[in-house]
Amino acid sequence: MTTTVPTPTPTPISASPKSIARARRKASRRAFAKQFARSRSGMLGLIVLIVFALLAIFAPLLFPATMLDVTKATGMPYEPPSLEFPLGTDVSGRSVLALVVWGARVSLVVGLAATVLSMAIGTSVGIVSGHYRGFLGGTLDRFTDWFLVIPFLPLAIVLATVLGASMLNIIIVIGVTSWPGTARLIRAQTLSVGARPYLERSRALGAGNVHQMVRHVLPNVMPLVLANTTLAVSISILSETTLSFLGLGDPTAVSWGSILEEAFASGAVSQGAWWYIVPPGLCVVLVVLSFNLMGRSVEEILDPRKGAT
Amino acid sequence: MSVRLPRIMSLIVGAAVVSAGLIAGAAQADTASPSPAASADAKATLTVGITQDIDSANPFTGIVASAYEIYQMQYPTLTNYSAQDFSIVPGLADSWQESADHLTWTYKIHSGLKWSDGEPMTAKDAAYTFNRIINGEYEQTNYGNYVANITKAVATDDTTLVLSVKAANPIMTHLSIYILPEHIWSKVSEAQVKTYKNEPVDGQPVVGGGPFVMAERRVGQFIRMTANPNYAGGPTPIREVVFRVFQNQDAMGQALKKGEIDFADGIEANVAKSLEGIPGITTVNATYSGFNEVAFNTGAALSDGKPIGDGNPVLKDLKFRQALSWAIDRQTLADKVYGGAATPGSTIIPGMYPAYHLTPATPYTFDPEKAKSLLEAAGYKAGSDGVRTGPDGKPIELRLFGRTNSANSKQVVQFVKGWFDAVGIPTTVTMKSEDALTEIIGQGTYDMFEWGWVVEPDPDYQVSTFTCGQRSYEDAGSVLAGLSDSFYCDPAYDKLYAAQGSETDQTKRSDIVKQMQQMVYDAAPYIVTVYYNNLEAYRSDRFTGFVPQPSPSGSLLFQYGVWSYVNAKPVSSAGEGTQPADGSSGSSPGWVIPAGVLVVLIVLAGLVGWLLKRGRGGEAADDRE
Repeated sequence: MTTTVPTPTPTPISASPKSIARARRKASRRAFAKQFARSRSGMLGLIVLIVFALLAIFAPLLFPATMLDVTKATGMPYEPPSLEFPLGTDVSGRSVLALVVWGARVSLVVGLAATVLSMAIGTSVGIVSGHYRGFLGGTLDRFTDWFLVIPFLPLAIVLATVLGASMLNIIIVIGVTSWPGTARLIRAQTLSVGARPYLERSRALGAGNVHQMVRHVLPNVMPLVLANTTLAVSISILSETTLSFLGLGDPTAVSWGSILEEAFASGAVSQGAWWYIVPPGLCVVLVVLSFNLMGRSVEEILDPRKGAT
Repeated sequence: MSVRLPRIMSLIVGAAVVSAGLIAGAAQADTASPSPAASADAKATLTVGITQDIDSANPFTGIVASAYEIYQMQYPTLTNYSAQDFSIVPGLADSWQESADHLTWTYKIHSGLKWSDGEPMTAKDAAYTFNRIINGEYEQTNYGNYVANITKAVATDDTTLVLSVKAANPIMTHLSIYILPEHIWSKVSEAQVKTYKNEPVDGQPVVGGGPFVMAERRVGQFIRMTANPNYAGGPTPIREVVFRVFQNQDAMGQALKKGEIDFADGIEANVAKSLEGIPGITTVNATYSGFNEVAFNTGAALSDGKPIGDGNPVLKDLKFRQALSWAIDRQTLADKVYGGAATPGSTIIPGMYPAYHLTPATPYTFDPEKAKSLLEAAGYKAGSDGVRTGPDGKPIELRLFGRTNSANSKQVVQFVKGWFDAVGIPTTVTMKSEDALTEIIGQGTYDMFEWGWVVEPDPDYQVSTFTCGQRSYEDAGSVLAGLSDSFYCDPAYDKLYAAQGSETDQTKRSDIVKQMQQMVYDAAPYIVTVYYNNLEAYRSDRFTGFVPQPSPSGSLLFQYGVWSYVNAKPVSSAGEGTQPADGSSGSSPGWVIPAGVLVVLIVLAGLVGWLLKRGRGGEAADDRE
């Protein structure tokens, strides 16, 4: 399970401890990839995500940015799907298909960036609060509890209102509101790792707190972090959609949430303009589902409680 | 009483008259179909859906259109505008007389009137109200223009009000000042009035003299007005009016379809379209006196000239503003955003008032190339990235505010951003609530914003908003907003304003007012985007007798007067009836969305089921302990 084990006696192998570790990690990565490839639901999620990622990356080539400019829209408002506009037009006469493809960029970027932020906070707080048993750990743990019981949406709305509407702020808002769950999980795992004999050994050999946390605890909680990340992305994307739908997102950036918001605000429901509402909603569902499928598969493979690796 | 407001509209203008006729015809047929469940009490309650909450129930504070609707229901004015054609008809005053030297006006107040709490309503209340505004500072904000010429108000007896004026002037027969009960407002000091809410306390309705008084208010939710038992015009057929505030146009449209509300005002084009042709619902595409604009911060300053705020200095340049006026496609806004229920805008008095409206001889049209060359000529050179730089050598970037409660506003600012970006002026769009925006405007901390005015039949108030004296002012260390929201100030304009205010000859006054419009048009503190229609819809199976102002195609509610509130009545015959209209009509079949959602759900359920099955039988099981 560990990456670095001090070797008091010379080993017969001529390799350095580092290269041993590297080789073993490579092998475990390969084993992981193999197991993941055999998980049908995980692969399905991965494929769907790759499709969306490609669409997002190549959006400017598929649909020039001018198609998002309301002043250059060629259609009339609320045109139903046609050859020219496969998913109809929005309230300003823009192609909904172009909007949805461009919306993938913001939704995915915000979803991923916010998750990274939330994971960074959650993992640090979790490890530190699990490693230090005394005042510091207790305080951080109470702090996590406190964040855990604050209802997410009101807190996010207040933060978004105070910080102002921009993409960066939305990332920050989601990041700083969604980490407590991760922190709890990581803390529990840190406690269980901390009880293992090799950590005691390393302490006896004079390893400091930072060394223990970074070199021994972190690698051991990493699989959990990874699995949790894939699951958290879907929550971040949903949060982004929610906040944009509530009008708290960047008003000029097109995301799935903001498309839905505009559709709702401009009477698409009364108009029966289903092509304006269903595609962005479906995209959110698909991406969230894919991340969940992947997350579950990764979790099954990596989770120490489930006996693998 | 011109008022800021976000009216939203709809409908295709070409078909307006025809469809109004057709719908009216259909409505006649459906008239005898009240909802069977409606009780006698519910029938006398008119529930009106609006998308703009009032900003204040205090008539010295409020500036939005919905607030003025409440004020005029609650308080009388000396005279009224007729429903027919805005001509002057008696209000609180039965008659009025100008003295031979033109310096004294005498109003005969109807005798034996009472406020809603039973106290006598006399000329003394009127004199009190006028004097309070004449001598006040905060009170001047909303009504100062009406009393600029009045030196004092005296009630010589209970039925006689005498106003002394400095010079002959044309507005004395239509002073839109709400007469307030002295026995209530004399207890509200000058210091208290700024924060006085004027809302019901302990369940007691606000004391008023109009047909309805406010009985309950929940901010952002509803305003309940009950009939004033002492209303001079006698009991109204409607006993209660509830204004329900909707955050969303769709929700308001659905509420009307379901019968939760009886009237929807200020509907947006798309929603109005979906309400057409539904049995029991009549839609109205009413000619209206509103315009919307993109306003510039032309150099925010207090009325004494002290600069405030942080507006971009390039907007002080007349040539810069004029150049941008060529960059806006007003026709596209009217067609695409307002669904055709609007016409391109130009000057600040709408064409609905032909006596005063000026059609500019050389209008700004949509000509981005001209805008670019004008900017270039004025020294705003484009850099390599196409962004123009100001005199300080820095790239120009402008802030543009839209209003969150208006879907149209949100669209308009996107269009404006696109057009300004295209001529090399990058624009940042931010959406603000109307309350927040009012504050920002008063402090001058903006570059541009999108809003509008509803213009009253007499042009005095509207043209007064561009005078130097209407800029913000300082009081006890804090900056308070005046009516000016562009901070335009030109002594020559102020001179003309004074001239029109003492010109009693209608033709000469019109000429001066037109000259003023031309000055504002040339100076371009506003880009007037559109003159819009007011789209309304109501349950003609429940209520009838609404009175349009002006006749025959004017607005049914949100008028200059309370004609519909006192004349509308519940449809009389009860019992049998056609079923209430549901959402199964409109421009696209109602089953489409439910069906779409169903398909999606089925697909997802199938997917999840398949995966679960795989999970149980497949590889995943091996990974479990």
